[in-house]
Amino acid sequence: MGVMDQVELPKPIRYVFNWGRKYSLWCFNFGLACCAIEFIAASTSRHDFIRHGVIPFAHGPRQADLLVVSGTLTDKMAPSVKRLYEEMPEPKYVISFGSCANCGGPYWDSYSVTKGVDQVIPVDVYVPGCPPRPEALLDGIIALQGMIQNESLKERIAGRRLDPITLGADAPLALEN
Amino acid sequence: MAQVLARQDRALSPEETEALLRDRLGDQVVGTTVEYATFTLEVASAGWHAAAQLCRDEPLLAYDMFDCLLGVDAREEGFDVVAVLYSTSTGNRICLRTRCEGGREAPTCPSITDVYRGADWMERETYDMFGIEFEGHPGLEPRLLTVENFEGWPLRKDFHLASRVAKPWPGVKEPAELDEEGNVIERVPEVGDAPGPYDLDKAMAEQARAVNAPAVEEGAQDEAEQDTGSEAAAEATDAEESPPETELDQETYERLLAEGKSERIARSKAKAAYIKQQRAQAAGGDAADDGPSATGGDAAEDGPSAAEKAEARRKEQAEARRRKAEERAAEAEDQGAGDEEEGA
Ligand code: SF4
Repeated sequence: MGVMDQVELPKPIRYVFNWGRKYSLWCFNFGLACCAIEFIAASTSRHDFIRHGVIPFAHGPRQADLLVVSGTLTDKMAPSVKRLYEEMPEPKYVISFGSCANCGGPYWDSYSVTKGVDQVIPVDVYVPGCPPRPEALLDGIIALQGMIQNESLKERIAGRRLDPITLGADAPLALEN
Repeated sequence: MAQVLARQDRALSPEETEALLRDRLGDQVVGTTVEYATFTLEVASAGWHAAAQLCRDEPLLAYDMFDCLLGVDAREEGFDVVAVLYSTSTGNRICLRTRCEGGREAPTCPSITDVYRGADWMERETYDMFGIEFEGHPGLEPRLLTVENFEGWPLRKDFHLASRVAKPWPGVKEPAELDEEGNVIERVPEVGDAPGPYDLDKAMAEQARAVNAPAVEEGAQDEAEQDTGSEAAAEATDAEESPPETELDQETYERLLAEGKSERIARSKAKAAYIKQQRAQAAGGDAADDGPSATGGDAAEDGPSAAEKAEARRKEQAEARRRKAEERAAEAEDQGAGDEEEGA
């Protein structure tokens, strides 16, 4: 991250800096189920989150600032989400979109569904609903932008969990609490 | 390789198919059914592979397309495997079904991957979900749909869902079960109540029985009351709820009577006319009220009109009840007369 996570910017500069960051969120859509349709609806002309500075469909995780996990995350898919999240450069933000991504939703008792994407990656904003309306996503985005505006990048990076969550055969998935 | 379109006219009928398959497979055939326009052939496990081979290679059948393969939990009897085949030349579809050997402990079934390559992943999926071993399959592991280190067979009816053990199924089965006052019955679930689908079925069935039992009794009581109900009782309710004459449009009533219609018809027509008049009045009031405060006026008008509708409905029910009572009385009289005649 260079100097950004080492020095605290002076307040006016930080303001401008954060203002610039919050209106240029390249968004990486991790569409997994029905909620992804609502995400797409939010990106099209009627709801149009580009007017909030969210640019949908980043070319890949390496170009993205914002990860929107929309839909049902299964245990089988969880490692991929984790991996793509780790490919994103800091500072990165995650919106969990829909009940399934928040907590398992209607599949709370399923054998195969991860009970919330926050078991795998840290989440900044949760948007509830099954599926949430596109307006709810806009609301979530605005909440996230408010967060970005007021944050200090240094503190954010310092507060990041540095030890990665291990997934795979030697560590049972999503079972350790 | 000439036929491109399915030729239904060359297709064998289910009876012919059955005769052919029985002829070729002999006593491997356990039974056949035709349900939902699908011909199902049940074969013994030993004849499973031969049946698939025959279906593909016999020119009269020519089931050249493999559609799907799945498992079925047959509870105590073990597991079934079902394969659906399609013939692109005749447009026929066939369903093959077999009971796995090995019961619930070690269900095994011959693989048909060497007949239909498409069966490969379907058999892996079936293995994933039911734990059915397919003999001769090129490789069932690693697991295809679940995580590699998953334990258990999730689509078996006795599979216990971990979340369900920790937190029981909340609430009642839909449609919501109501008590007499129309409140939703809340079930207090116990931990470990229904850890799997099978147990849930049982728990819900029990619960439904418990809830529905009094309702049934009540209904029966009602019936009994009605049956034994004397004319006097019927009259009593009648007196309570019969429509006062003001509810009828007197003009229409009298006109119809004068026209020689029966009293009942005249009464109902008159009532309809009365309700119509009332509605028209209400609508007129609405129109008069219309203005800047249209919503307020509407709301105010809505109340009485809804109440009126309810009133009208109640009246109508009372009327119907009275009519029934009258009919019954007439019947009783008839019967009484018959009895007397017999006695004589
Ligand atoms: S929260 Fe509802 S709409 Fe969204 S993915 Fe889950 S089931 Fe589908």
